[in-house]
Amino acid sequence: MKNFKYFFILLLGFSMVGCSDLVEEPVGLLAPDGFFQSTADIQTAVDGAFTHAINEKFWGRKLSIALMLRSDMVDLASNETRRVEHNEMTTLASNGMISEFWPKTYQGIAAANQAIAGAELVNAADAIKNPVTAQAYFIRAFYYFHLVRQFGAVPYIDGPITDAEAAASMVRTPAAEVYANIISDLEYAKTWLPNTQPSRAIPAKSAASSYLALVYLTMGDYQKAYNEAKEVIDNAGTYDLALEPNFQNLFDASKIDASKEPIFSLDYNNVEAPDNAYDQIAPMTGIRGDDRNAGGGWSVAVPSLAVYETWPAGDYRRAVSLDDEASIGGVVVPYTNFVISGHQFAKNQPYIAKYTRFPGAFARGNARATSSNHSMMRYAEVLLIAAEAAVELGDNASATNYINQVRARARMGGDTETGAGTPVTVPPSTVPADITGTVTVADVLEERRYELAFECKRWYDIARRKIGAEVFGASGLEGAKPDFTTDDYLMPLPADEIERNTNLSQNPGY
Amino acid sequence: MVILLFSVSLFAQDGIAVSGKVTDTGNLPLVGVNVLIANTTTGTVTDFDGNYQLKVDKGDELVFSYLGFVSQSITITDQTTLNVTLVEDDQVLDQIVVVGYGSVKKSDVTGSVSSVKSEELTAFPVLDAAQALQGRAAGVVVQSNNGGEPGAPINIKIRGNTSISANSSPLIVVDGFVGGSMPQANDIESMEILKDASATAIYGSRGSNGVVLVTTKKGKSGKLSVELNSTYAVQNTANKLDLLNASEFADYQNQIRANNDVSTPYPQGTADTDWQDEIYRTGNTQNHQLSVSGGSDKMNFYVSGNYFNQDGIVVNSGFERATFLSNVDAQVSDKLKLGLNLFGSRGTKDGVTTQSDGSVTVGGDDVISLAMRFAPDKPIQDENGNFTTNDAIGDEVDNPYAVATERVDETVSDDFRANVYANYDILESLTFKTTFGLSSENETRGIYQPSTLKITAGGVGGRARVTDAKRTSVLSENYLTYNTDIGKGNLTLLGGYSYQKNTTEAFAAAGTGFLSDAFSYYALGTATNPLQPASSLSEVEIQSLFGRVNFDFDNKYLLTATVRRDGASNFAANNKYAVFPSAALGWKISNEDFLINSETISSLKLRVSYGATGNPSISPYQSLSRFASLYASRNGQTVFAITPDQPANPDLKWETSYQTNFGIDLGLIDNRINLSLDYYNIDTKDLILGNNGIPEYFGFASDEILTNLGEINNSGIEIALNSKNIVDGDFRWSTDFNLSKNKNEVVALINDADLFGNAAPSYFSHDRSYVLRVGEEVGLFWGYDYAGVFQGGDAPAGTQTLAGGVAGDPLFVDVDGNGEITEADRTIIGNPNPDFTFGFTNNFSYRNFDLSIFFQGSQGGDIFNMTNVQLNNGDANTTRDYFNNAWTPSNTNTDQPRVGNNSNREISSRFVEDGSYIRLKNLALGYNLPLGVVESLGLQNVRFSISAQNLLTFTDYSGLDPEVNYFGASGDNNTSSNTVQGFDFGNYPTVKSVNFNLNVKF
Repeated sequence: MKNFKYFFILLLGFSMVGCSDLVEEPVGLLAPDGFFQSTADIQTAVDGAFTHAINEKFWGRKLSIALMLRSDMVDLASNETRRVEHNEMTTLASNGMISEFWPKTYQGIAAANQAIAGAELVNAADAIKNPVTAQAYFIRAFYYFHLVRQFGAVPYIDGPITDAEAAASMVRTPAAEVYANIISDLEYAKTWLPNTQPSRAIPAKSAASSYLALVYLTMGDYQKAYNEAKEVIDNAGTYDLALEPNFQNLFDASKIDASKEPIFSLDYNNVEAPDNAYDQIAPMTGIRGDDRNAGGGWSVAVPSLAVYETWPAGDYRRAVSLDDEASIGGVVVPYTNFVISGHQFAKNQPYIAKYTRFPGAFARGNARATSSNHSMMRYAEVLLIAAEAAVELGDNASATNYINQVRARARMGGDTETGAGTPVTVPPSTVPADITGTVTVADVLEERRYELAFECKRWYDIARRKIGAEVFGASGLEGAKPDFTTDDYLMPLPADEIERNTNLSQNPGY
Repeated sequence: MVILLFSVSLFAQDGIAVSGKVTDTGNLPLVGVNVLIANTTTGTVTDFDGNYQLKVDKGDELVFSYLGFVSQSITITDQTTLNVTLVEDDQVLDQIVVVGYGSVKKSDVTGSVSSVKSEELTAFPVLDAAQALQGRAAGVVVQSNNGGEPGAPINIKIRGNTSISANSSPLIVVDGFVGGSMPQANDIESMEILKDASATAIYGSRGSNGVVLVTTKKGKSGKLSVELNSTYAVQNTANKLDLLNASEFADYQNQIRANNDVSTPYPQGTADTDWQDEIYRTGNTQNHQLSVSGGSDKMNFYVSGNYFNQDGIVVNSGFERATFLSNVDAQVSDKLKLGLNLFGSRGTKDGVTTQSDGSVTVGGDDVISLAMRFAPDKPIQDENGNFTTNDAIGDEVDNPYAVATERVDETVSDDFRANVYANYDILESLTFKTTFGLSSENETRGIYQPSTLKITAGGVGGRARVTDAKRTSVLSENYLTYNTDIGKGNLTLLGGYSYQKNTTEAFAAAGTGFLSDAFSYYALGTATNPLQPASSLSEVEIQSLFGRVNFDFDNKYLLTATVRRDGASNFAANNKYAVFPSAALGWKISNEDFLINSETISSLKLRVSYGATGNPSISPYQSLSRFASLYASRNGQTVFAITPDQPANPDLKWETSYQTNFGIDLGLIDNRINLSLDYYNIDTKDLILGNNGIPEYFGFASDEILTNLGEINNSGIEIALNSKNIVDGDFRWSTDFNLSKNKNEVVALINDADLFGNAAPSYFSHDRSYVLRVGEEVGLFWGYDYAGVFQGGDAPAGTQTLAGGVAGDPLFVDVDGNGEITEADRTIIGNPNPDFTFGFTNNFSYRNFDLSIFFQGSQGGDIFNMTNVQLNNGDANTTRDYFNNAWTPSNTNTDQPRVGNNSNREISSRFVEDGSYIRLKNLALGYNLPLGVVESLGLQNVRFSISAQNLLTFTDYSGLDPEVNYFGASGDNNTSSNTVQGFDFGNYPTVKSVNFNLNVKF
């Protein structure tokens, strides 16, 4: 019998490892249940929605570069097919840039939807929580406004997915409906956002109004566009807005945050965040072999020579927007010798300077991950929206007033430096700043082209005004683009997305 | 046998004292041979030198028996010295084969099980014993994750891929410990590979990828045995690419520029560097093992220590590991046996990232590919002593020598496992076994990219990252085994309960901007830019009930049935428990009356089995609704934010494989020829598919949103042939051959729509390089169908160039016939799945010499040569073959398009090649010192051997190595080895190795 005692010891041993109910209890993981308790929790979801916009897949590179390349202001110095497809208007539904910014945009929307739905659960007074929730409405409108301009009709999702089966087989929401929803979101934002915010990267009332103006302008509802823009201009003091006296400061990371001109900007800081959630526009537009920015640039998005040559030299903005001189391998060279770097894709053309000249602190070589808060909407654009709408409404006096404010700043001259660090003083222009007589739509579009050059606005202008045949003709800045057709005003929905939901139709021409 | 040992009384009778020595046919002493007086319990065992001594009476019959040898009976007349030579038992069928929760005689196996013996595992030195399985067992495919890289993970696949998105690696069970890390090859007694459902269903939800049972060596009763095994190997790359030198390269670049109307001449540097020569070196491996084993009648032990050190063939790469193993078993009483297995190891992998894992997106970290791509006119360092960069073509990257030597990447892994068991005989026929085990694996990886790497880390003053992962597993298993005879039948019943909990804790921290590169990754606190730290915890609990019935009737008819019920915490809420049954029948035809006396057929058995097994395939917390955390910026401050990550999925299920197996085991001429044939058919259902399942407009951050919608089928034939061609005399010859043919087919996908994936690095032009299509095999290459070079004028009917093509550009088949090459013209352009793979071994011995020749090969699989895509692109150096044969106006009769053509990095059939090969995997010559010499040295056995691996490869493949293994650089490389097959992109080449081995038994 003595052996049985061993047996009992064994049984005891194994019974110590008991049964489990096998229910998972995640520690350190974020579960939606019970997450939304306070206004701060809404803000945390809002911050997620805004952060998707700075990602490399959205403004950090893929979307911003695609928008630049599709325009007539930025040519391509690369043979990568996904970029060629945008530059040459030969875009396929499998394009490797669209397949990146399409999901990223919707991730931003989903985060905003989550914040809006979460806000319902937070027990706080409207006056406390709605100004926070309004940021989510604003950014949702911001994302859908990009989508509707890129693709036209898109699936419109306005809340967390509850019926996945239905959502997975939905059809595209008509563009008009998407626009109506954008306007409704922006109206909510305008109602609840405060007049000013601690940072221009957090939308204030003016951001909602300005975007409403641009949305109406895009829709061709010029009266409403004018009204919204005028409201911003008339309340510039309340909203703490003004034109920045020195145009260069708008593209200087150390000065932009103090400027009164930005209305809404993206919050970049020089952190090497995971998932490439940082800025890569500077290297994409930078000069090969450039001695600046720890490794120079990658010379991918480069304006054609015509952009520089047709830009009046007396316009201070040219000196700010383009580098026509650089230091390459220790040698200061004019743009006519930029190929001294020997790189295959180096071009003897002035390069975009708005991102590379004063990028501020950056976390990775080539001026990647800068702290430069790029403006998505600034006061000068609101003036130009007002001017364009006024032209359409036959109010030449207002149109002249607004466009000339922008032109005057551009012709004041100013101090800056070249890409090689050589100080440059552009004297006040001898050409009169003011347009007299009748301002035309073409005048305003041309002013937008210079004022907002390389800020990814031009393609949307071409598409909304349907001027592709003209700007991509033989006399265009990049010469003839024979593959351009009016179908190119909308991009193709990603091919794999249509495979996932076969009820989604494709845009014509793809 | 144990029972036999201890039932022997050690009291001897009065009478004659007989003594002698028991040896094998090679004159080696046999230790632990049972010497028993017939029909008594009186006897002894031979000692360490094979000697025995026993008092007997005249006329007694002495029986000498030893496992694996034919027993001998000798009647005592009046001799006092009786030396006996035992002959090895060719009746291999009566070997013991380890199966889940037990063991059976080989002749009684009803499932499909391959055994790999210790000699095969140690035929040449390997870091991971799994490597030694390659070509040794039918139906088993073994592949390094990165060629000859020291310390690269080894992938094992049994009977093809039974999954698409889940892990397809088999379950490894070491001495009963589920999920144990692989011991050193020299410590392994045998490996059993369980292939069909009858064998694996006892492992339930973890059985569908097959199970590898590893049994480590145990001590034997007798005197102390000490063995020293020492190997030194010299290694070189088996192959280099023939690339352009500096002046040819400048010429090539200028031609490209001319073809693209670029007037800037290529700025040729002053150097002429062969970057492959700069990064490759002669590597070496040493492996030393000392083991001590022995035991008494109550206790035995095996203890070993092993030291492995490899200097890789790429400068600065290496791996070092020390391993300890101890097995102790004690017969505490005649009913209770206790044992303890201990395993510990420390491995240090020294770092060169030879194949990009996508973590460095700019600057380059894939040294092998860099060495092929990098401009040959650049010196290693410029006149200022700075490392050069590839600054005139393509994306600027750091040079391969700088990346290999400057980048610090060190991984230290500590593994510890303890497993204690107790075996208690409740009744003679009823045994209770309980095991309790604990394992802990700690891995710390430190990476430092110094500021001397201009592109990767120059701008930020160095970048450091430290990651730490700790995995622990607790396992308790308890089961009863009951064995009884019922008439002519024998019944074995097994039933048990198992509980396992696996915990993984991980931590990572990183930063940039260090005062000095000298700090390496040990001064994260001084980073001027600390990056987002991360920590995580994941826990999985599995509790199971399992049972098995074995019934053997009249030694002719065999029945095996198993069942296991698994519950797992990682299973979704509505599907927490799963049941996996199996059944098998065996018929030993050769024991039937009509065959039992056959001269030719010495054994013949038919086997048939059917069963269901699972693949857990759901990661912890994967079925729960989740938010992801984001690193956000707010008002210039870094804050934490959230975004929807994945929806809840309470209905998610494991994947289930339903497998049918038919097998024949045939032994001819006293089992000198053994043939096993197996046919299997595996239907895997409820495959979990992610990624493309749910539209991206749902906006979830995770691309792993899963549904149980896929189905694939694998069917195949396995042949294993073993023949002892010459068995008598000084010269002996035996042959082992195995062949596996697997055919897989995608049966169902979501909406049966094609499922595309990408194995190409992110800078390739399109995001699709392979397809899963219903009715086709898994992982077919997807791209344009190349149709030769455009000669100008009108393109040949049915073909076209990409938009804007001119003479010299590639033509592609215009599949949809719309006159232009668009997305719709992409098609299936190759099949990476081999028709069959095989291994072929011949062993010869002549007196003290032995020779082993082992070929291994694969027939019929295609390779997509992405290395050539990159090298033909213009942004890189290229092969001399392409440069010399590319189309020019004066060289139009060629199938290679012009340099700098308009289809760069295009995925087309131009780069699909036949990947068939036959490889002389191992050639080994051994010599055993004559016994006389050995004895005069006071030793037991001395053996020298010299072997060479990968000496010869017969293949038409133009790349470095037909054993390719690129799993994609960005995100697709986790479990993508199921679908990403046959892609070659800068793999660490397989090495050619020559080994010198010394084995001494004291």
